[in-house]
Amino acid sequence: MSSPRKTTPSPISSPTAPLTVRTISTQEHRDFVESRPWASFLQTPAWAEVKPEWRAESVGWSRDGVLCGAGLVLLRQLPKVKRYLAYLPEGPVIDWDDPDLGAWLTPLTAHLRARGAFAVRMGPPVVTRRWSAEQVKAGIADDSVRRLGDVPPSERSQTGARVVSQLHELGWRPQAVEGGFAAGQPQFNFQIPLVDGDGSPRSEDDVLKGMNQLWRRNIKKAAKAGVEVTRGSHADLAAFHDLYAHTAERDHFTPRPRSYFETMYDALNGEADDRLTLWLAHHEDDLVAATISIRVGTHSWYSYGASSTEKREVRGSNAVQWEMIRDALRSGAHVYDLRGITETLDPDDPHMGLIQFKVGTGGEAVEYAGEWDLALNKPLYKAFELYLRRRSS
Amino acid sequence: MTLTLTVDGERWRRHLLEVVGRNPGIVPVAKGNGYGFGVGRLARRTQWLSEHLEPSAPPVDLLAVGTYSEVADVATRFHGDVLVLTPWRPRGAAEDAPSTVAARLVHTVSRLDDLVELTDRDPGARFVLEQLTSMRRHGMTRRELEEAVGVVAQRRLRGLVGVAQHLPLRAGSHVGEVTRLLNDVVATGATTRTVLVSHLTPDELARLRASHPDFTIRPRIGTDLWLGDRGALRVTATVLDVHALERGETFGYRGRSAPKGGHLVVVSGGTAHGIGLEAPTGDQSLRSRAATIARGGLDAVGFVRSPFSLDGKQRLFAEPPHMQASMLFLPQGARVPQVGEDVEVRVRFTATHFDRVDVK
Repeated sequence: MSSPRKTTPSPISSPTAPLTVRTISTQEHRDFVESRPWASFLQTPAWAEVKPEWRAESVGWSRDGVLCGAGLVLLRQLPKVKRYLAYLPEGPVIDWDDPDLGAWLTPLTAHLRARGAFAVRMGPPVVTRRWSAEQVKAGIADDSVRRLGDVPPSERSQTGARVVSQLHELGWRPQAVEGGFAAGQPQFNFQIPLVDGDGSPRSEDDVLKGMNQLWRRNIKKAAKAGVEVTRGSHADLAAFHDLYAHTAERDHFTPRPRSYFETMYDALNGEADDRLTLWLAHHEDDLVAATISIRVGTHSWYSYGASSTEKREVRGSNAVQWEMIRDALRSGAHVYDLRGITETLDPDDPHMGLIQFKVGTGGEAVEYAGEWDLALNKPLYKAFELYLRRRSS
Repeated sequence: MTLTLTVDGERWRRHLLEVVGRNPGIVPVAKGNGYGFGVGRLARRTQWLSEHLEPSAPPVDLLAVGTYSEVADVATRFHGDVLVLTPWRPRGAAEDAPSTVAARLVHTVSRLDDLVELTDRDPGARFVLEQLTSMRRHGMTRRELEEAVGVVAQRRLRGLVGVAQHLPLRAGSHVGEVTRLLNDVVATGATTRTVLVSHLTPDELARLRASHPDFTIRPRIGTDLWLGDRGALRVTATVLDVHALERGETFGYRGRSAPKGGHLVVVSGGTAHGIGLEAPTGDQSLRSRAATIARGGLDAVGFVRSPFSLDGKQRLFAEPPHMQASMLFLPQGARVPQVGEDVEVRVRFTATHFDRVDVK
């Protein structure tokens, strides 16, 4: 028998040159994202235009002259000093399966340090745990369960765990997320898989069957009432924003200005056709719901939504969601992402309504590796943390 | 004429059942001097515990010993599996275990080479893989563990019982470290979700179980189980002789002279029992270090505080303890005990050998 050490997978070290990081052009960055199955829309170069209060830079990893990774870095200046927090939201786009993440991250942080960064923050787009809708529902019904983590997951991802282990080893620190909605991107999301385990696309019928009875009934009800869902154009952003501002008032959140959505629309669609879609649900002549969806490759997100207080009974919200899901299926997406949920499964928590709405679509709750910081300048990083704490208290 | 550990049996057994009830999946530890009771007695008690569980409780089916030479002491008294905490090495020690017990043994494997060697010799061997913790005594790093998991998969080994963690004693919480170690287990691709872990408080254990409901976390408990209710345990020596002592009179092996008048009280219990041998407590506080220095100072000029108490007052050693007896100094004015009286003794159970253990 041969020695098992030879046949066990050993860490894959580059057979050729090491990875290097440099600034890349918007076009190179865009082409790289297009060459990948998907990336977070927060990692597209267009996203930089949506965040004008941050300076932005596209960085790329090369090995033997071939671009093999990319990231959108947002740089925010520390008050009074010419030092920056470098932030890669839901990124970077690299091979997170690589057992030697240090080979990727070390040149990145060296590059950013040279650019004046005192710390790097990133959110590896890597799933660590999954829970089925049934498990989440059972958790909500169980009085002893308070948080999603109290429910045994359907899967713990080895890749995700390995990323977490390596980040600890490399000196990165996870950002505390109390309840799930931190300052950054949500760690817990709800998603509908649009392909089966073997990768073949699911049918509309199959997805519909995965929904709970209330969702199916509401979708049917909307169709029967004659709700019509159409794609909007830039000109319809005004109508969307009116309804969105109305929703914000009703649901007590602070609305973003109309210009924000106009910038987003132009930037994302300027980068790729139908990256961002505005959806309008009309009943007779009334706009009853309006949403924005975003798609990059095989990943489709439900991003913003608004609904009228009048005519709730025609179920415009369900109709527009169903149309977005169908569109995602038609365009070959693998995932329909309803984005953040909080970790709580406490029936008394005000976020429960939102979670139950999302859980009703079937699908699964997923946990990502979360956001991680690497301090490059410890005193400045400490000062920055202090500044954030003061600002939030 | 003995150093005796007297156990309030009913209270002790009640405490043991309570601890087992509070710690489902417990792996009792019986090693070394058996925490003063002896390893054999603890094995018998573990068997008793396994037969007196709540019907719904997970079984007490695993007993941990420290070394292979301790296996024989427990194997005939406890009928479940026996985990050896000292990591298996390719030579020597493992052969101290009787071959008849082989099927009930669970080895601790802390190096990849040992896993290969052990399963070369016995492909059916059962084992836990030990993770390296912040204690850094034995155990595998994440990458080593990943390789070991690769060997388990490649050789289709069926003997993997779980992973083991030996945590340091610590004032702060272990939750962060164990959470990272559990994540490392997932990262290696190991299929096992059973973890044997020491030194968790009930609160830490509850929090880890809540955040890892798909894992089976089994606490390894020794001290808190056997010695957790000190009120059930009483240690006594016997007064063997009493002599009046004038100021300036000489006495003892070393011919010391008495600094003042009083009585010399000779009691059972000496270095052979562990009396007067100080096991380091690891207490690094300024106060305890100051106390050590103060004791040293006393030693230089006169008498050292002994662990023996008469009428509730700790008495001084008249000279360093002998092998099986100790001489105490009783100053003028104190009640003079009778020969044959019991004397209370404070001991470190893990470093004391009792002549008798009476479980009432």
